[in-house]
Amino acid sequence: MEKKYPRILFRKRLRELRKDVKEMGEVTIRAYKDAISAFINYDDDLVKKVIKTGEKIDKMNYHLEHKTMSIIASEQPVARDLRFIEASLKVGGHFKRMGYLAANIAEVARYIKDEEIPEKPMKDITQMAELVENMVSKSINSFLDQDMKLSRELHRDDDEVDDLFDLAMKDITESMFEEKDAIYYMVYLLFVARFLERIADRAESIGDRTIFMITCEKP
Amino acid sequence: MDYRIEVENLNVYFDELQVLKDVSLKISKNMVTALIGPSGCGKSTFIRTLNRMNDLIDTFRMNGTVLLDGGDIYNPKVDVVDLRKKVGMVFQKPNPFPKSIFDNVAYGLQVHGISDKDVLTEKVEESLKAAALWEEVKNKLDKSALGLSGGQQQRLCIARTIAVEPEVILMDEPCSALDPISTTKIEDLIHKLKKDYTIIIVTHNMQQATRVSKHTAFFLHGEIVESGSTDKIFIEPSDKRTEDYITGRFG
Repeated sequence: MEKKYPRILFRKRLRELRKDVKEMGEVTIRAYKDAISAFINYDDDLVKKVIKTGEKIDKMNYHLEHKTMSIIASEQPVARDLRFIEASLKVGGHFKRMGYLAANIAEVARYIKDEEIPEKPMKDITQMAELVENMVSKSINSFLDQDMKLSRELHRDDDEVDDLFDLAMKDITESMFEEKDAIYYMVYLLFVARFLERIADRAESIGDRTIFMITCEKP
Repeated sequence: MDYRIEVENLNVYFDELQVLKDVSLKISKNMVTALIGPSGCGKSTFIRTLNRMNDLIDTFRMNGTVLLDGGDIYNPKVDVVDLRKKVGMVFQKPNPFPKSIFDNVAYGLQVHGISDKDVLTEKVEESLKAAALWEEVKNKLDKSALGLSGGQQQRLCIARTIAVEPEVILMDEPCSALDPISTTKIEDLIHKLKKDYTIIIVTHNMQQATRVSKHTAFFLHGEIVESGSTDKIFIEPSDKRTEDYITGRFG
């Protein structure tokens, strides 16, 4: 039986890193939910809050980058520890982008708050938003629990989001033709659909990172 | 693949104690191979088997084959002095002779029958240059080697080893007694030497293994648990014991 040298301090730093990623994930999903909520039922305070949270996530990511560099420099991790640290860094970057995309959605809400949105495009977007929320939550859990099954599901979910995006494009364009005066605000709906689709891509990438972290293979 | 050394089913015993168990490893030409593993796992015994240094220990017994360029080095007809010329060794602690810098490098050449002063001078300079020490010692070749710093002494030992033009250089923790700057110099030197020599290095420093070697073998309790490309071993080791060792979960 070998002597055990558990590298207590190093283990503690890795646990802290995981905690930081978890916290970033929680803040990101809250920002996303708030953005969608502000989009559906406009609330100026909520919009401001989402924009602020986007900046906060950026700062959190900066600290995460610092922490990972410090661990790499002082602990020189290898194998699964190294892969976990590398993945944390990447996942942090995805959260940062998601945070800003949520802020983008909240900002767009300002331009359409007093407009009558046609039923079909609204339905497409709310459906997309629900699916994307599920994906964000799944991506966080897939990384934290190192769950390959959840990670793989994100591919299928992303395809579904892409299909909904195409449908939203079609319905929004049709509404534009029907009501030419609506074009100037319907354009913002296109943006929202686009932002949602990009958040879904980020969630899928977190799943891919998780698969790479576990298997060292490109998913 | 061109192999310089091929070890097959090597078992080594000291008295009744078996220190290497059925070890097989192929070492490619002009490449650096790192041997890692906790203390007492058999790494040093393994490299000392490659130039028959263990023969000096009374209780040493072995079976299996060790081939150098296809020839069995344990064949009774093999001249051990000639073998050690082909397979040179650098030790953990620099061990220059209490002689001048020049004599230290010239020694091996003289043992192998070179006495022409011009040839010796030329060879000494060439070896010191190859060991990246020439510029630091060219004006004091007649001074005692013991006056050099630890890092310089270790490079001198490398110069002494390469003076006799070996095919293989065995290095048993060559940097463990050196400061970081001297360590960097030795590592740079290893990079430079690998195009002409096959190098096998035992190291306890994981990062050093990743920096200098292309291949790594992980020893544990006298067995090779895993061997393969250094990148693969340090990024995605196949065996849990390798993973546990390199990530510091046991030592």
